[in-house]
Amino acid sequence: MTGEFVAFFILSLLTIGGAVFMISFTRVVHMVISLGVTFISIAGLFVLLGAEFVGVAQILVYSGAISILMLFGIMLTKHDANDEGTGRTWKNRFILLFVIVLFGLLFWGVQNTPWPAPPPPADAPVDNAKEIGIEVFTKFVIPFELLSVLLLVALVGAIIMAKKEGDNE
Amino acid sequence: MNTLLQQAPSWGTTLWFIIAAVLLLAVVLGFVTYAIYFERKVIGWMQLRIGPNRVGPLGLLQTVADVAKLLLKEDVRPQHADKALFTLAPILAYAPAFAVLAVMPFSESIQFADLGIGLLYYIALSGITVLGVITAGWASNNKYSLIGGLRSAAQMISYEVPLVMSVVGIVLLTGSMNLEDIVKAQQDVWNIVPQFIGFAVFIIAAQAELNRTPFDLPEAESELVGGYHVEYSGFRFAMFMLAEYVYMFGMGALITILFLGGWLPIHPSLDFIPGIVWFILKFSLYVFLQFWIRATMPRLRVDQLMSFAWKVLLPVALFNILLTAVVVSYQNGMF
Repeated sequence: MTGEFVAFFILSLLTIGGAVFMISFTRVVHMVISLGVTFISIAGLFVLLGAEFVGVAQILVYSGAISILMLFGIMLTKHDANDEGTGRTWKNRFILLFVIVLFGLLFWGVQNTPWPAPPPPADAPVDNAKEIGIEVFTKFVIPFELLSVLLLVALVGAIIMAKKEGDNE
Repeated sequence: MNTLLQQAPSWGTTLWFIIAAVLLLAVVLGFVTYAIYFERKVIGWMQLRIGPNRVGPLGLLQTVADVAKLLLKEDVRPQHADKALFTLAPILAYAPAFAVLAVMPFSESIQFADLGIGLLYYIALSGITVLGVITAGWASNNKYSLIGGLRSAAQMISYEVPLVMSVVGIVLLTGSMNLEDIVKAQQDVWNIVPQFIGFAVFIIAAQAELNRTPFDLPEAESELVGGYHVEYSGFRFAMFMLAEYVYMFGMGALITILFLGGWLPIHPSLDFIPGIVWFILKFSLYVFLQFWIRATMPRLRVDQLMSFAWKVLLPVALFNILLTAVVVSYQNGMF
């Protein structure tokens, strides 16, 4: 049993557990926290795969996103608001059946696919950020620039919308 | 430490990890104990008071007594508080504060993890604390703590942006996000000289990230009773305080590494003094600056706080990035 395996086991358990609790909790803030657990564990999985940069970027982006989501959750709902689940049993049974069939199909698919042999791990630790930078600015430069224009448009749009509301008051 | 990290895990290596972590924790706790003591003492002197002087010689055991009091207190939890989150919040706030210390190179040899993206790691993890603060504010089920939590979330998220932007200049100059490389690149001149604008922005934004004067609005006693931790007492309250001071430790170490040349001596002829001593000296300078500012500055008003981050600090930081980029590309012979 390698350390990698132990870490993978714990992280994947946390990822799936966070996702499951996200759905089954009834309070908004609880859901957001379990979502946070999922996101942070996914970052851990990235680190395990040797992609530290992606992992850290994941935490950087999503910890802020979760905080904002939580703020909205707090401000737009009552403190002790409970989301009451629909208690229709025949529907639930049908969904259970569907989920079991889907799981069976997926499991069968995964088991029967001839996976290509994984590439040998790099000997020296690769400088993640540098490699990503080189890829982005050579191979993917047009999508990258398009994306930055899109974000800029979104930013300007948000400012204009906020300004309009401010003028009306 | 690095060779230890790459070994196959066994009970022996795990034991070593635990010993190393506990050692660091002991150092940090020792720092926090005496940082609080010196804070009270220095501010006392600045305000022509004596400061703590009763417990132990020169009052040296005052903080120890205070912490013992906090630990022995009854663990009070409000009846309508959210039980699970009320317990989770101090952990969410403290764990990242301690985890960021893992990448700090305290000297040439004392470092826990040599991460290629050490700088980004610090910034990313410190963002998780905001989550702990909001959770604490909400779980307490108290108006004042909720307002305090929201306020500090707004403040910490806003000031994180100029904080990140101000260090981009250093990354451009060094060409690396590895903290050790950043220190080594300051062999000739410390970053505080070529990156002075970045340094000014960083130190202001860091002050806000640490929730310290003049940005200590999240715990404004006079208007909010106490901020997001009103309902906390005893051990849990101690965890929040600890998180705050451990962040001060982390931020002090980060500023030392980024701008003050880390473990490098002032002049190469002085390098017979070990690096860790230089590090501690520079680090103490920053910590003293904290106390100095606290004794000098009043608190900012809420409505001035946000516009200062977005309308002053961010443009200045962006200007610094532009200037650095132009200079670096000029040096590389781009034009």
